[in-house]
Amino acid sequence: MQRRLSKAEITRREVLRALGALGLSGLLAPGLGAPRPASAQGSLASLGPEEPVDATMKRLFGGRPIKDGTASIKLDLPLIAENGAVVPISVDVEAPMTPQNHVKAIYIISDRNRRPLNAKFNLTPAMGQAYVGTNLRLGESTEVRAVVEMSDGTLLQAKREVKVTVGGCGG
Amino acid sequence: MAEIGRVRIRVPSSIKQGDIVKVRVLVIHPMEIVQRKDGKAVDKNYHFINRVIVTYLDREVAQFETSQSVSENPFFTFSFKATEPGVLRITFLDTHGGKYEGTADVKFS
Repeated sequence: MQRRLSKAEITRREVLRALGALGLSGLLAPGLGAPRPASAQGSLASLGPEEPVDATMKRLFGGRPIKDGTASIKLDLPLIAENGAVVPISVDVEAPMTPQNHVKAIYIISDRNRRPLNAKFNLTPAMGQAYVGTNLRLGESTEVRAVVEMSDGTLLQAKREVKVTVGGCGG
Repeated sequence: MAEIGRVRIRVPSSIKQGDIVKVRVLVIHPMEIVQRKDGKAVDKNYHFINRVIVTYLDREVAQFETSQSVSENPFFTFSFKATEPGVLRITFLDTHGGKYEGTADVKFS
């Protein structure tokens, strides 16, 4: 493995301009960010709703049946996560990834987070393999599930319990 | 904060045509979490990455919708099928309108 650092096409000027913009928004933020009730219509609306996991599942999948996908979904998660702020997860689905039959989306849902939908990965056949991984924040010990949506609409699910020693959501 | 938006992409050093290549990508970003006061969420425009777009040869390969439940300095792995030499571009968009890009050249050895 050789590390390739990608500096992108970012010039110094652009970086400075971006930093300047950030600084400005930081100055303005205290006025805008005054505490208001959570129910108020604000930028909190851009986050996923705080809800129990059943509500999330209903919102995302309606009444569609979810089959057990333990045989084809490889969900890689630690059994015990000492630091809830960084919990590595990877999902590998056995699928041919042809235009006719591929994984359309992978949802990562952790049952006991306030906003259970953690991430949604939209995939295409060009990936060749239905494999994604990331690091999650988990508030407490929870079941984490990966729900896989196939191109024909079938839903498959695999889940695993993770014990979290120190929560990573900080509220 | 100074490094915010720096993108690092790691691809295997030798790629053969037709290979399914695993890519690791990391972006420096605070991924702010919801602050709470008296048990209620503070309403403000939290700064976090909510979308990641992967393109290869200018075609979209994948799109990730992320939330605050993804760790600070988020890290993603995924795979793609290397069909032709070209550029793999990963774009991160955040809630404050920030756009961070990283590219990797896909070459065959």
